[in-house]
Amino acid sequence: MLASANILVGGVFHAAVLFLVAAGLQIVFGVQKIVNLACGSFYALGAYFGISALAWAAAFEVPAIAYIPILVGSGLLLAIVLGPSVERLLRLIYDRDEHFQILLTFALVLIFEDAIRLIWGAVPLQTINVYFAFGELRIASDLAIPNYNLIVIAAAALISAAFGWMLRRTRFGRIVRATAENKQMSEALCVDVSKVYMAVFTLGVALGTVGGALVVPAGAASIDMGVELIVDAFAVVIIGGLGSMPGALIGALIVGFVRSAAIWLYPEFELLAIYVIVITVLIVRPQGLLARTA
Amino acid sequence: MTTSTAPIAARTASAGTLKRALALPALLFLVIFLFPFIAGPHYVILMFSAMGYAIALLGLNLLFGYTGLLSLGHAMFLAIGAYTAGYMTSTRITNFELILLVAVAIGATVAVPIGLLCIRYVKIYFAMLTLAFSMLLYSFLFKFYHLTGGDEGIRIKVPTLTAWDLSGLDTLSVLTGPLYYYVFALLVLLTALMRCLTGSSLGLQLRAIRENQQKAEYLGVNVKRYRLVAFVIAAVYGVLGGVIIAIPVGLADPTIAYWVQSGNLIFMLLLGGYTNFLGPLLGAVVFIFFQDQLMSFTEYWRLTFGVILVMIVIFFPNGLMAAVDRGRWWST
Amino acid sequence: MTLLQAQNVRKLYGGFCALDDVTLTINDGEHVSIIGPNGAGKTTLVNVLTGLVRPTAGNVTFKGYNVVNLGAVRLARLGMARSFQLVNIFPELSVGETIAVAAISHLRHGERFFSSTARNRPVWEIVERVGAIFGFSGKLDQPAKILSQGDKKLLDVASAFALSPEIILLDEPTSGVSTADKSTIMRVLVQAARQMGIKAIIQIEHDMDIVFGYSNRIIAVHNGRILADGSPASIRARADVMATIVGRQYDHA
Repeated sequence: MLASANILVGGVFHAAVLFLVAAGLQIVFGVQKIVNLACGSFYALGAYFGISALAWAAAFEVPAIAYIPILVGSGLLLAIVLGPSVERLLRLIYDRDEHFQILLTFALVLIFEDAIRLIWGAVPLQTINVYFAFGELRIASDLAIPNYNLIVIAAAALISAAFGWMLRRTRFGRIVRATAENKQMSEALCVDVSKVYMAVFTLGVALGTVGGALVVPAGAASIDMGVELIVDAFAVVIIGGLGSMPGALIGALIVGFVRSAAIWLYPEFELLAIYVIVITVLIVRPQGLLARTA
Repeated sequence: MTTSTAPIAARTASAGTLKRALALPALLFLVIFLFPFIAGPHYVILMFSAMGYAIALLGLNLLFGYTGLLSLGHAMFLAIGAYTAGYMTSTRITNFELILLVAVAIGATVAVPIGLLCIRYVKIYFAMLTLAFSMLLYSFLFKFYHLTGGDEGIRIKVPTLTAWDLSGLDTLSVLTGPLYYYVFALLVLLTALMRCLTGSSLGLQLRAIRENQQKAEYLGVNVKRYRLVAFVIAAVYGVLGGVIIAIPVGLADPTIAYWVQSGNLIFMLLLGGYTNFLGPLLGAVVFIFFQDQLMSFTEYWRLTFGVILVMIVIFFPNGLMAAVDRGRWWST
Repeated sequence: MTLLQAQNVRKLYGGFCALDDVTLTINDGEHVSIIGPNGAGKTTLVNVLTGLVRPTAGNVTFKGYNVVNLGAVRLARLGMARSFQLVNIFPELSVGETIAVAAISHLRHGERFFSSTARNRPVWEIVERVGAIFGFSGKLDQPAKILSQGDKKLLDVASAFALSPEIILLDEPTSGVSTADKSTIMRVLVQAARQMGIKAIIQIEHDMDIVFGYSNRIIAVHNGRILADGSPASIRARADVMATIVGRQYDHA
C-alpha cells in the first residue's frame, strides 16, 4: 500500500515535469522541425536560476506561498532572456540538413554545461526548506505525501491546460498551428514567420526552464540533470510520437511511472526499463503511439 | 565529394592529381610514424589515443559521411572494445591480437541485431534509437556492479604482443614503443581497407542511398542490406578503436558509453571533415591534441569546444579537410 | 507475351477514390501512352504498377510475381524500371556515378566490396554508352545537382534505362524540356529502348504530338477509371475521349 501510493504520486510528479519539458520539445519540433538537444540544458538552467531566485527572495522573507510564483516567474524570465538569442543562432541553420541542427544543439549542451559551472560551480545545489514548506497530506498513519508534489502536479496541469487552450482557442495558437502545417502558406498569408518561430522557440524554452525550476525543490540542481533529462524527454517523445501533444502526455505518464516503480521496486532496472520500452515502441510502432501522420 | 569514381580515361589523365592526392595522407602518416622520436612521452601517448579515435572515426565516417546515418550512440562500440580489453587482460589471455579478435567478434555480434532494428529508420529516429541503445548499455554497465564493476569499471592491463617480448619493459616504454608501432600498422591497414571499401561498389551504393533512398531502391540497390553492412563495419572499427583508446587510460568504465561521448565522436568527424577520406584521422589528431592543450589552459574547455562546434556547423560544415582541399571539391 | 498485368485495381485515399476498377495488360512490343487530365489518377496508376503504392483492392503482377510483395529492389532485378515526375536524382553524385549505380545493379556487381569501381571496365562502358545516348558525354563528371531541370529529368530517365530493364515506366519524361528538344528526346528514348532490348515502354504524357507520334497504344484515364484503351487511330476516333482529355477537336496533320 505504502509502496504503491508512493509510486503513484512519484510517478505523476515525474510525469508532470517531464510533460512540460516534452511539450516544449514537441512544439519546437512541430513548428520548426528542429529537435532541440539542449532542452535538458534549459531545464538545468531553470533549476539553478530558480535556486538563485529563491535565495534572493529569502532575503526578503517572502512567505512560502510566494515560492511557486517565484519559481515559475524565474523560469519565464530566463526563457525570455535566453530564448530569442538562441533562436537567432538556430535560425542560421534552419535550411540545413537536420543532422547539423542536432549537432548545433549538441554544441549548446556543451556551452550551457560550462556556463552553469562558471556561474554556480560544480557542486550540486539544493533549496532549503522549500520542499516541506507546504506541509503534507496524511493519507494513512504511515503514509504522508508532501504537498509540494501535489502543488507541482497541479501547476503543471494548469500550465498544460493553458498551453492547450492557447493553441486551440487563441489567434496566436491558430497561427502557430498553421505555420507548423505549412510555412509557405503562412508566409503568403502575411504571417511574420520569423516572429512566430521566435515566439514558439521561447515558449519551448520556457516550458523547460519552468519545469526545471519547479522540480528543483524536490531534489537538487546538478550539472548532470540536464543530460539525464534529455534521455527521459526523448523517451517520452519517441513513445508518444514526434509532434503529438497527447502523445507527449501518455509518454510522460509511462516514463514517469516506470521510473517511479523502478526506483521503488528494482533500482537496477530504472534506466533499463525505460529503454526497453522505448526500443519496443520503436519496433512495434515506429512513429510513436499517437503520432500525427506527417 | 570524396575521391569519386571517375571514368577511366579521365583518371589516367590526372596521374598528377593522384600523386597530390596521396601526398597529404603520406605526410600525415609520416609524422605519426616519427612522432615517438620527435615528441615527449606525454604527447606520444596522446597520439596513441588519437590513432584509436581515428580508427573508430573511419568506421563512423562510413556510416555518417557515406551512408548519411547519424549515430548518436556509436560510443557503445567503443565501450564494448574497452570492456573486452578489461575482461581479457584480467585473465591469462592478454595477447593484443586475441583481444582485438574477440572484441571484433563481440562487436559484430551485437551490431547485427541492433543494426537490423535501427537501419529501418532514418534521420532523427535513427539518431534517437542509437542513442537509446548506447544509454541502455551505459545503464547496464553502471548498475550491474557485480558483472561490470559498476561505476568503478574494470582495470585494463597492458596487453602482450605475440611477435614481441615485452617483459622487462615498463608500461610507458611499451606504449611509446612496440605497441605504438603495432597500433600504427593497424591504423595504416585499416585505413587502406576502408579506402578500398569506399572505392568499391559498396561506397558508391552507400552514397546513392544517402542521397536518395527511394531512387536507389528503384535502381536495384538493396538499401536495408547495405545500411546494415555499413553499420556493422562501423561497429567493428569502433570496437577496435575502443580497445586502443582504453589501453593508455588503463580503465574501462561506463562513461565511455555515455551519449556525450558519441557526440564528441561526431564532433571530431565534423572537425576533420566527413566528406573527405582523411577527415577522420585529421579530426582525431587535432581534437585530441587541442583538447589536451585546452584542458591545461582552462577548466572551461567544454565551453570552448561548444563554441568551436557552433562555428564549424555554421561556417565550416565540411571541416578542416575542405579548407585544405579547396580546389578539389569535384575531384576526379 | 504478357509482362505487366493489373486486375481490378482500386485505390482509395480515405474517402477519395483515386483508381476505380482498373484492369489492363501490357505486352511485349508495346509503347503505351497514358493520358488524362490532371488528377485523373495517372501517377497513382504508375505508382501502383511499380509497387510504390499498395492497392486497396485488386492486384498487379509483373512476369507473374505480385508487385507489392516484391519491393522496388527485386522489381529492378526482375527487369522493371521507372522514372519520376518530380525530379529524382542523387544531388551529390556525378552524372557518371548516377548511371554507374544502375549499371552495377544490372551487372550484379553490387557485392564487389573489394574491387575498385573506377577500374570496373564493364560498368564504365555502360556509363559511357548510356551517357552518349542521352547526350551527357561531356558532362559525366558534373555533380547532378548543378544540371538544368531538363537535364536532371533526363538523367533520371537515363539511369532507369541503364538498368537494361524489360519494361520501363516513365512519368512525363519530357516535361521541363523545351518543345524543340522534346522530339529529340523521344527519338533518343525510342532508339535507346531498341538498342538496350527494352520490351515495353509506358509513359505518362501530356503532349499530344508525342502521344500520337510515338506510341502504338493509348490508355486514357479519367476520374480513376480507364476511359479508353486502344491504338492511336481508335482513340482519335473516339470523340468523347478527345473532348474530355484533349478538350477540343484535335487535328493532326
